[in-house]
Amino acid sequence: MMKIKIVSIPVRDQQKALDFYTDVLGFVKKLDVPLSEENRWLTVVSKFDQDGPELLLEPAPNHFEPSKVYQDALMKAGIPYTQFYVDNIQEEFERLTKLGVEFSMKPTDMGTVIVAVFNDTCGNNIQLVEEK
Amino acid sequence: MTYYIQELKRIKGVCFSNKVQIDIAVNTKKYIDTNFDKEINLDLLAHLRFTSKYHLIRVFKKYYGITPRQYLINKRVEKAKIFLKSGKSVSDTCYTIGFGSINSFSNLFKTKTGVSPSIYRKATFDKSRQ
Repeated sequence: MMKIKIVSIPVRDQQKALDFYTDVLGFVKKLDVPLSEENRWLTVVSKFDQDGPELLLEPAPNHFEPSKVYQDALMKAGIPYTQFYVDNIQEEFERLTKLGVEFSMKPTDMGTVIVAVFNDTCGNNIQLVEEK
Repeated sequence: MTYYIQELKRIKGVCFSNKVQIDIAVNTKKYIDTNFDKEINLDLLAHLRFTSKYHLIRVFKKYYGITPRQYLINKRVEKAKIFLKSGKSVSDTCYTIGFGSINSFSNLFKTKTGVSPSIYRKATFDKSRQ
């Protein structure tokens, strides 16, 4: 029986990413296991769903050039690497903006959802989604 | 303007330009979200949106990918998981989320989650107390 337990996101600096994803976005650190050299198996989860899917902050761009190329291309095109769901996107947009987070797209109506895109400061665009 | 924003604008024009249909789908979903524990059927949902049952199903599925009934079932199972996790009994959970029969609730829950409500409760509620 297969389950989806972890999804990964490439980051340039794991500690910086951990700080941003916990202190700014509000996720909670779940696993932090030292691996070879300075790499860590580092995952975060939603504070409100701590048994839910884990987000692996993976330093792939530092070790595998195609990962860096792909991440840079997505960033340049403004394409989100992944997306997180929120109850109220306008409130979250205002909260994050006050914390200095840069949005490339403000909350935008897309029919059945409202979406916005911000820079996670670790090499990725992230999309926020509010379901109507 | 980024490539992504241009693409979203294009997709919005293609898929989300019919405001009347979107309102039907979104308001039906909102009604189910807040009334999942009550008796809900297609006649009622269609009546509330001043449309036919068939049009309602078509429009809802067009924007959410599933029928209103499937959405209602998913919503009830999602709520049931929250109640069971908090320690509510299987029978209380069953009636609280709008099911009339424990058997049909248990079968449906197992189909959707892979485990029976009692096993789910044991695994999640007991774990939270440890």
